[in-house]
Amino acid sequence: MNELDKIPVRQEISVAQGGAKRTNPLANVFDELVRFCQSRSMFMLHYCTGCGAIELPPAMTSRFDMERLGIQPMVTPRQADILLITGYVSVKTLKRIILTYEQMPAPKYVIGICSCTVNGGMYWQSYATAKVLREYIPVDIYIAGCMPRPEAVISGLRDLMGDIKSGRADNWKRYFQNYDHYLGNQQQLFGEDWQTPTDIIAEAEHYGLMTDQTLGEHTALLQKHQQPLEALEFSLGEKREKIQGEER
Amino acid sequence: MRPENYEAIKQPPSNEYELNFGPNHPGIEGNYAFRVKLNGDEVLSARADAGYLHRGFEKLMEGRLWIQNIALVPRICVPDPVPMEVCYSLAIEELCGLEIPERAQWLRVMQLEMSRLAAHLFAFGGHAATTGMYTPMFWGVADRDLILDRFEELTGGRVYSIYNIPGGVRRDMPDGFLDRLDSLLDYLDSRLPDYDSLFFRNQVFIKRARDVGAMTQEQALKWGVTGPNLRATGLAFDVRRDDPYLVYDKIDFDIVTQPGGDALSRNLVRRAELQQSIRILRQVIKHLPSVKGAVRCPIPNPLAWNVPAGETYTRVESSKGELAYYVVSNGGDKPYRVHVRGPSSMHAVQVLEKLAVGSRLEDIAQIMFSLDACPPEVDR
Repeated sequence: MNELDKIPVRQEISVAQGGAKRTNPLANVFDELVRFCQSRSMFMLHYCTGCGAIELPPAMTSRFDMERLGIQPMVTPRQADILLITGYVSVKTLKRIILTYEQMPAPKYVIGICSCTVNGGMYWQSYATAKVLREYIPVDIYIAGCMPRPEAVISGLRDLMGDIKSGRADNWKRYFQNYDHYLGNQQQLFGEDWQTPTDIIAEAEHYGLMTDQTLGEHTALLQKHQQPLEALEFSLGEKREKIQGEER
Repeated sequence: MRPENYEAIKQPPSNEYELNFGPNHPGIEGNYAFRVKLNGDEVLSARADAGYLHRGFEKLMEGRLWIQNIALVPRICVPDPVPMEVCYSLAIEELCGLEIPERAQWLRVMQLEMSRLAAHLFAFGGHAATTGMYTPMFWGVADRDLILDRFEELTGGRVYSIYNIPGGVRRDMPDGFLDRLDSLLDYLDSRLPDYDSLFFRNQVFIKRARDVGAMTQEQALKWGVTGPNLRATGLAFDVRRDDPYLVYDKIDFDIVTQPGGDALSRNLVRRAELQQSIRILRQVIKHLPSVKGAVRCPIPNPLAWNVPAGETYTRVESSKGELAYYVVSNGGDKPYRVHVRGPSSMHAVQVLEKLAVGSRLEDIAQIMFSLDACPPEVDR
């Protein structure tokens, strides 16, 4: 009996010990409500990166009808929640995928559709594709198959909805927490002067996700190669005229 | 990069600007980019930026067995995969001197036309979406799905069937397949007037697409345009009739042409080809039960199959245009060289670049979708 009395009725973790003190009993309820709403209104980015995109129109339109789950295509990454990587990722596309991913506002989720995003699929020999997508950006759910049927795509999206609702889908935090690791893999592929216009480190500070893995030798290279960004100058006009002039 | 490093370069005041059109853009077909220089919304110059889907197919095929490549080739053109398999199989059969059974030839024609129907329905839906009409897009995708169901029944795969192998097809069709295909054709036939009133005779579409991206017959021939896009300039050229393969010489069908050469004509040609494909499929349904026999001829052990040395060039008519394979064998168990002549690499790169100049920004998507280019096939 004495033993039972010693157990505290309510366990309070002080802020000094690392836990946030919750004073509002409705705080959890509010979080759950937000997560429920997030899971029921997902906008997926309209970016067809590979051949799996051919199964998305049937999945979106009247036969399989993804819209009844609250999933809609969205044209700009700044308003999208889900990034679907549909199929093999060539190195040139991977650069755009990373640029797109970094522009999306958190919380953001990545779904790798088709076997090619898992391990390279049938292009495991190819010189042009990046094999394992997980090494470059954090992936929440993989849907394997070549190509997965619309039912499989919808089933995968429902799994993601469940994960969001229960709060398990927080892989986007890993990108900030382990930015050095992801950047290292990206630099291995694109060269060590690889830069994106997004300031991931400042964003990690903003979200409070800085860990000892965020900064490291690779982010130091980022600082080293940093140069003032110049306005994009398409060499279209001049180069074209030059080439045409030479031909004449 | 920190935001404080952004420094705008001072430019002289001008109406001209440059725009990245794609790859992440709903107005572009697939993963493909287009860089345009504009004055207001008039296109001054344009440049295609391909390579986002490059996988190095021609190199990959040199490293795999002849039979393994059958799984690889349909991935070259995603919306219309069957002609890829058939053309590659035809090339190997020509190198080996294989005579494939007649039933297999009819089965191949059946799949080719089913695939053409599916691809045209998809293209018409895509073009409708760029003009802001989403109902035809929903209809096209939904009706294409019914064809994919028949593909699934026949081959086991919805999109990539991998049903044609060198020497014939993998297996015979299931019982009652032709009846179900026939009722599907009845349904599609009844849908065509609906498509007409909804889209092809719709003033919104006609006014939008007329005289957009027009080319003359001379230009089309000079630029290497083939398929429905060439027939839309008034030239009745079709590989199915002019260089018949399989059993197309026994089939009665018309080659539809249109005089205009613009986006409207190209779409009307595709609309008429829907009808012609249904007509061909009805003839296949009529003939196929009377053709008995095996569906493939005996081939050597595919894992140790040395194809005799030689080279060949075979061509078929895909839904996008003339598709050809140049295959070289040095007598080994793997191809020495395979070159794919895809129709889309002409349509999406050189033709699109030239047609876009002088048009307006909102017409680029119209031109691209009316050319019905297939980006994975451009990049390969």
